[in-house]
Amino acid sequence: MVAAAGPDGQSVKIPGPTPTILLAAGLLAYPLVFSGPFYLDIGVTFLLAAISASAWNIVGGYAGQVSVGHAMFFGLGAYAPLLCYTLFGWAPIAGIPFGIAFSIALAVAIGIPTFRLTGHYFSMATIAVAELIRIYFGTWDLVGAAIGLQGPARARDWWDLTFRSEVPYYYIFLAVLAILLRVTFMIEQRRFGYYLRAIKAGERAARSLGVPVQQTKIRALTLSAAFTSLAGSLYSVKTGFVDPESGFGILVSVQMVIIAALGGAGRLYGPLVGALILIPLQTTTNTWFGGGGTGLTFILYGGIIVLIARYEPGGVFELWDRAAPRRWRRKHAA
Amino acid sequence: MLLLQVIVGGLLLGAIYALFSSGLTLIWGMMNFINFAHGEFVMFGMYVSLLVVVWLGGGPAVFGFAAAFALFTLGVFVYFSLIRYVLRGPMLAQILSTFGLALLLRYTAFWIFSANFVSLPQTSLSGIVNIGGVLMPVPQLVAGVIAILLTVGLHLMLTRTKVGSQLLAVSEDRGAAMLMGIKPDHMQALAWGLSAGAAGIAGALMAIAYPWSPSVGETFGLTAFVVVALGGFGSVPGALLAGLIIGLIQALSAFWFGPIYKDIVVYALFVALLWLRPQGLMGKA
Amino acid sequence: MLLEAQAVSKAFGSFFAVRQADLCVDEGEVVGLIGPNGAGKSTFFNCLAGDTMPTSGKIVFAGQDVTSAPPETHARLGIGRTFQVPATFDEMTVLDNVMVGAYLRHSHHGDARVSALQTIELTGLKAQTNMPARSLGTPGRKRLEIARVLATSPRLMLLDESLAGLTPMELKEAIRLVQKIHEMGVTIVIVEHVMEVIMTLTRRVLAFNQGHVIASGAPEEVVRNEAVIEAYLGRGRHKHRSRST
Repeated sequence: MVAAAGPDGQSVKIPGPTPTILLAAGLLAYPLVFSGPFYLDIGVTFLLAAISASAWNIVGGYAGQVSVGHAMFFGLGAYAPLLCYTLFGWAPIAGIPFGIAFSIALAVAIGIPTFRLTGHYFSMATIAVAELIRIYFGTWDLVGAAIGLQGPARARDWWDLTFRSEVPYYYIFLAVLAILLRVTFMIEQRRFGYYLRAIKAGERAARSLGVPVQQTKIRALTLSAAFTSLAGSLYSVKTGFVDPESGFGILVSVQMVIIAALGGAGRLYGPLVGALILIPLQTTTNTWFGGGGTGLTFILYGGIIVLIARYEPGGVFELWDRAAPRRWRRKHAA
Repeated sequence: MLLLQVIVGGLLLGAIYALFSSGLTLIWGMMNFINFAHGEFVMFGMYVSLLVVVWLGGGPAVFGFAAAFALFTLGVFVYFSLIRYVLRGPMLAQILSTFGLALLLRYTAFWIFSANFVSLPQTSLSGIVNIGGVLMPVPQLVAGVIAILLTVGLHLMLTRTKVGSQLLAVSEDRGAAMLMGIKPDHMQALAWGLSAGAAGIAGALMAIAYPWSPSVGETFGLTAFVVVALGGFGSVPGALLAGLIIGLIQALSAFWFGPIYKDIVVYALFVALLWLRPQGLMGKA
Repeated sequence: MLLEAQAVSKAFGSFFAVRQADLCVDEGEVVGLIGPNGAGKSTFFNCLAGDTMPTSGKIVFAGQDVTSAPPETHARLGIGRTFQVPATFDEMTVLDNVMVGAYLRHSHHGDARVSALQTIELTGLKAQTNMPARSLGTPGRKRLEIARVLATSPRLMLLDESLAGLTPMELKEAIRLVQKIHEMGVTIVIVEHVMEVIMTLTRRVLAFNQGHVIASGAPEEVVRNEAVIEAYLGRGRHKHRSRST
C-alpha cells in the first residue's frame, strides 16, 4: 500500500505495487523452489483453477449473475483444440480461437433471453444448457461421444506443446492468469467495472442512472466465457484428453463457483485466495478419501458452499475486511 | 396401440412430475426463490421409502406417509436454518444456498447408497391391467392417479382453506399479511414443509413404479424447472398441466428418437421457453 | 413544454392504478404532486421515469416520445429520479455511488471522479465521501440518491418523497438543497406528503386520488380544495364541516 494525497486533500491509500509484486515473485519462483513433479502438478492445477474462477468472477462475482453451468464454456474451450487436431491434424493451440468464438456465441445466445428476467432464470439456464451439452456430446460421434478426444501422443513439432515436464505449462498458465487479472483490474478502475457493481448492488437503480444493464451483463458474460474457454483449452492442451465429464461436468462448474465464492466473489484476488485454500485442501482430501473420493469431495464442497451462503457470502476477503474495518475504509478510498 | 401405451405411460409419469413441481412453484410464487435442491428432495423421498420397506416392511401407505413426513420436516428445517437468512441477502447467497444443499444431499446419498440403481421389492401393487386394449402396469397407474389427486388437493388447499389463503396472502403482500396478524416467517416455513413434503410423496410414488439411483435428483430438479417455467411460475394448475405435457413429450421423444434423448429434449424445451415465452402457459414471469 | 404526459393510464390486471392522468411541466418549474397513499403517485412517477410502461397514453420529453422507452433512455435524455425507498448501492462507497451517476456523462474515469466529487461537495456529503453507503442513515441515503442522480446532469428531476422522515433541521437543509438544484436550472417534479415542502418549494401542485388528477393550481388553492381534503380525510369530515358552518 502506498500513501498519497488525493485531489480532495484526504490521505488516500492506493493499492501499490508491493503486494502484487510479492505475489508475482512468489508465483514465478515457485517451480524453482518446489521442483518435484508432485508440487509442480499442484501448482499447475492451482493456476488453472485460479484462471477459471477468475474468469467466472467477472460475471458471477462483479456483476452478481451467478452461473452454475460455466463448464459449458470450459468444455467448448477444451474440445475445440483436440477436435481441430483430430479432424484436421492441426496443432491443438490452433483450435483455441474456435473454442473462444463458440463460447462467445453461446454466451450471447444465453444472455439475451435470460438477462431480461430475474437472476434465477439465468442460473437455471446455465445448469440446463451445460447439462444439455454434456449429454449431447456424450452421444455425438464427431466429438468422440462418451470416450472423448485425445491430443497428439507425441510432439510432432514444437507447436504441439506436449512437454515432458510441467514447468513450461506452469509458466504459460501463469502468463494467462496474469493477463486475466490485469484485465479484471482494468475493468475495476473503469466505467464498465462500476456499472457491473451497480448492477449487482441494485439493478433498478442502475437503470435509472442510465446504466445499459442488459448490454453490460452480456458483455460481462462474453468476456467471462472467452477466458473460461481459454482455461478449458489450456487444460486439454496440457492433459491431451477431454471427455464430456471432464469438459462439461458439474464438478467443473462447481469448482469455479466455490473457489471464487470462498476467496471472495467480486474481488480481484478473491479467486486466487480461494484456489490457494481449496486446491491443497482438495489434494489432501483426495489422498484421504482415495482417488475415487469424488463423492466425499462433493459432500465437502456442498457443505462449504452452504456455509459460505449462510454465513459469509463475501468469502474470506469479506471476513478479513470485517475483522479490520479501519483498514477497509482506507483500502477502499478511491 | 403401442403409441397409445407410450402416451399413457408418459402422462402417468408426468402426473408425478406435476406433483413435485407444484412444490417448487409454490416456493417460487411465494418468495421469488428457486430451490436448486428440489430434485434431491424427491430423491430422498424415494430412499426414505426404500428404508421404510427394508427396515419396517411397510406397504405403500406407510412409506408414503413416512416420506411425506420426513421431507416435510426437512423442508421446515432447511427453511429455519438456511433459507430464512439468505432470503434477505445477495443473489449469490440465495443461489449458492440451495445449490450447495443439492450437492450435499446428492453426494451424501451417493456415499450411503452408492451409484447403483435400486427399486422397491414387490409391493402389494403389482401386475398389469388392460384398459381398453392399453396395457398399464398397476404401480405406474396407481402412482400417476394418486399424484394427480394430490396435486389437485394441494391446489384446493391453497385456494379454499384458511391456511391456504394465509399462504397466498404472504406471497401477495408480506407487509399487509403481517398487519393482519399472519406471521410471514411461519407461513414461509410451512410452504417449505409443504413443498418438500410434496416432493417426498412424489418420490414415494415414483419409487413404487420406477427404479432409481442418487443421480435422479439432478434430472428431477431440472425437470421441475421446465415444468414450472412451462406452467408459469407460481401456478399449481399450470404445473399440473405442464407436468403432464412434459411427461408426454419425454415419453414420445424416447419412443421416437431413443431413450438418451428424453432428457435432452426436456432441457432443450426449457431453453426454448426462456427464449420464447418465459411466463409459461399461465402465470407470472 | 419540457415534459408532457397525456392521458396516461396504468392497469395491473383489471385494477387501474393510474387513470387518464395529465401533466405539463415547463422548463424551470417546480411542480408538486400530492395525494393520499395508494393514489397512484408513485406508479405515475414510474411511468414518467420509464420504470413502468403505461397501459395507454403518451409521455413526451423535450419533444421526444418516451412512452415506451426504458429507464436507461430516460436517464440519457435527461430525466433523473429518486426512489421512495432509497435504493442506494449499499455495498459501495458514497463516492462510487455518485460516480455511477457521473459516468453517464463522462466515460473517462478521471473526469467522472472529478464530477462526482463536485456533486458530493454540492450536496453536503463531503465528510462521508469514502464511507460505505449502508453506513449512512436513511436521511443520508436519501441525500445520496439526490447526489447520485444530480451527477447525471439531468434536465428534469423526479423526487419521490425524498424529503420524508427528516427532522426539522434536516428538512430545512434538504429544502435548501432542492432550491440550489433548481437554481442550477434543473426542472423539478416532487412527490411529497410534507406540506412545508410543497408550500415552500412548489409554484404549482397537482393532487392525485385514485389514479386521477383531481385538482391542480397554486399550492395554497389546491390544499384548500374540497375534493382534495375529502380525498385525504374522507367524507365524514366534509359533512362535519358543512354542519358547523
